[in-house]
Amino acid sequence: MAWATITLRGPLAAQKPAAGHARGSGAENFPQNPTFSHDVAAILYANCVQCHRPGGAGPISLITYEDAKRHARQIAVVTEKHFMPPWLPDPEVVSFADQIHLTEKQIRILGRWAEQGAAPGDLSQAPPVPQLAAGWRTGKPDLILTAPAGYVLPAEGSDVYHNFVFKILVEGTHYVKAVEIHPGNPKVVHHANILIDRAHSAERMEARHPGSGPGFDGMDVEMESDVFEPEGHFIYWKPGTPVWSEPENMTWRLSPGTDLVLNIHMRPSGKPEPIQPSLGIYFLDKQPTLKPMLLQFDRDDALDIPAGARNFEVADDFKLPLAVSVYAVYPHAHYLGKQLEAYAVLPDGSRKWLLMIRDWDPAWQGIYRYPQPVSLPAGTVISMHYTYDNSDENPRNPNDPPKRVTAGNRATDEMAHLSLQVVPAGPSRGGDLRLVLQEALARHKLARDPNDYGANYNLGALLLSRGQPADATFYFERSLTQRPDSATVLNSLGAALLQSGRMENAMTRLQQAVAADPEYVDAHYNLASALALSGRFGESAQQFKWVIERKPEDADAEARLGSVLAAQQNYDMAEAHLRRALILDPNNTVAKENLRLLEQLRSRTNDHAR
Amino acid sequence: MGLALACFVANALCFCAWATASQQLPLDLAGRAVDPFAAGSKLTVLVFVRTDCPLSNRYAPEIQHLARRYASHGVNFWLVYPDNAETPAGIQEHLAAYGYTLPALRDAHHFLVRMAEATVTPEAAVFRGSKLLYHGRIDNRVQDFGQTRVVVTAHDLEDAIAAALDNKPIPPAVQAVGCYISDLR
Repeated sequence: MAWATITLRGPLAAQKPAAGHARGSGAENFPQNPTFSHDVAAILYANCVQCHRPGGAGPISLITYEDAKRHARQIAVVTEKHFMPPWLPDPEVVSFADQIHLTEKQIRILGRWAEQGAAPGDLSQAPPVPQLAAGWRTGKPDLILTAPAGYVLPAEGSDVYHNFVFKILVEGTHYVKAVEIHPGNPKVVHHANILIDRAHSAERMEARHPGSGPGFDGMDVEMESDVFEPEGHFIYWKPGTPVWSEPENMTWRLSPGTDLVLNIHMRPSGKPEPIQPSLGIYFLDKQPTLKPMLLQFDRDDALDIPAGARNFEVADDFKLPLAVSVYAVYPHAHYLGKQLEAYAVLPDGSRKWLLMIRDWDPAWQGIYRYPQPVSLPAGTVISMHYTYDNSDENPRNPNDPPKRVTAGNRATDEMAHLSLQVVPAGPSRGGDLRLVLQEALARHKLARDPNDYGANYNLGALLLSRGQPADATFYFERSLTQRPDSATVLNSLGAALLQSGRMENAMTRLQQAVAADPEYVDAHYNLASALALSGRFGESAQQFKWVIERKPEDADAEARLGSVLAAQQNYDMAEAHLRRALILDPNNTVAKENLRLLEQLRSRTNDHAR
Repeated sequence: MGLALACFVANALCFCAWATASQQLPLDLAGRAVDPFAAGSKLTVLVFVRTDCPLSNRYAPEIQHLARRYASHGVNFWLVYPDNAETPAGIQEHLAAYGYTLPALRDAHHFLVRMAEATVTPEAAVFRGSKLLYHGRIDNRVQDFGQTRVVVTAHDLEDAIAAALDNKPIPPAVQAVGCYISDLR
């Protein structure tokens, strides 16, 4: 069936390279004449060479003395400006796992070394070069997916955001522990993140926006996700990142029919660059016991930034209805973002900082993981405060002269998103606590902005999954006023109307959904069901057949086709499809029921015949 | 190091005065000493680049565009590699990879670097004869390390060339941002 939730996502990015602190001389004394061998190599090896090595994400290698010497002053300047190593959060406010950060002492050492002519010291005494495994660093993947060749990043122009779609061909459901992303050309790919596409949204997007190579462009991509399994993991790549492996109890489900969308941010290098990423997927044979979710806050509704505004602020405060543990955070804004902060105020009045980025740079956005999960009791208020600079003093302003900017998906629009990976805690009463959080957040957003498309849609999907189709309809109708041509909304609205028994309206909406996107399999399926319930068996059978042609493994479609054919008294064909349904899924109740009825019918007919 | 400009002729530089310092002259990729100012062009533009500088590499298409645009106006562009560790073969590969069709010089002793007062790559210098008219950034895309503009709003090199061709005053130069030539001693 087709109930779906949209989880609005921005491009995600990865955690930082492994941290290390140069022990160096160990003494508090500052080296008056630092050398590569005694002082500088240790700093570079601990903080820089995960990217700055041959084949690495950095454009230059800093492994040998000669390499470092050729860039000595540059190293001094970029570290003094805190441009390198790239790490946006202020480590004095919030410490994250794997953070890279040079101390003031280390920066002064690098500066002095360059000033004094970059002395080698005794190179035979230099520390050993850290070795990094080549190929798949996590070991042999269970599944390797490679994008088709043919996408070429142009030689010049501004940053490019492109999406590759990977179809997962697996038998049965698996649980994923890790995804190792090889972006194809780490020197031009700035970051990459994976969105789990359980409803073939990306495939449809690719069809609507064909480019000259595989995939489609787009900075922020919306993905539908299964309402029963809200997205809960950040899957990403960032230069020099160690590959993240989920803890054993926190894997995520990968079922057949899921696609993975790799959203990549790239910067032109001066020459055309072919990009062909690949993914290594690692399974674990264990269902997760901890089910996180991504709590996605946003203040996009408040983004109306006048041209010239230097310090435009948006803020949001959300009171948690349940206790949660926070595992990771992903802040997101575009080119005008300046200072991004988030914190939690607990019921006892104490404050826990969640994020402090004083100088946002979208090129270096990342996922930041807390060293220990942060516990927030029920009643905690989570606050976000983001500021924006839409003046001509902001070199990254995509408009010259500055223009009024509002929220949107394009690079020239803005965003104010904060995503927290949380695991809710508390008495379950049988329900999924994540849905409690999701509902609370959706209602919070709607109280502020009744036209929030994502919130309306999510709430509708939630209510539908709870068996409240009439209420769901209300929210889907509201989503439709925001996006009147959306096949997704039309389909969900149609499904809700169907479940409410409003057959005619359901039919209209589903027909509109199919007209809006003729390849939308779920919409065809729902339409087929609506036609069957209206007694229009011939048309229904046609629609189910269409679905089966597109999804030959769909047991439900086969079963329902079978029952429709039976209703048309086409018993032999009916039986064939019902049996096929059982081959595909031996537990399919519709098929089992209908075959039983068919058998009864047949034996009665035989009795009559005698 | 003072360079005695003993031999100065409009539109040409005479290398004879530096015969004793001939090993300091820039060389083409075949190893021959070259005088980029002797070609008799209206203007000579030197663009200092490195094979291993990402800031310099990103400018390859723009440098080519400018060279093409002003070729018919009598402006000669040269790529100058101030790195004594670069080899002719390495530079050839670099030119091919980045689609450069301009003549390349190896300036291992920083002879041209000093004439142009260049400090980083990429940096451009405009000469009329051997007179330095402009040296600085190509445009304002890179404000600073980590501060890349999304929209380029000042085309300094192009403005300097256009002004020079028109015999108008050259707009003030702006320091370029890039990899340091001083690291290549």
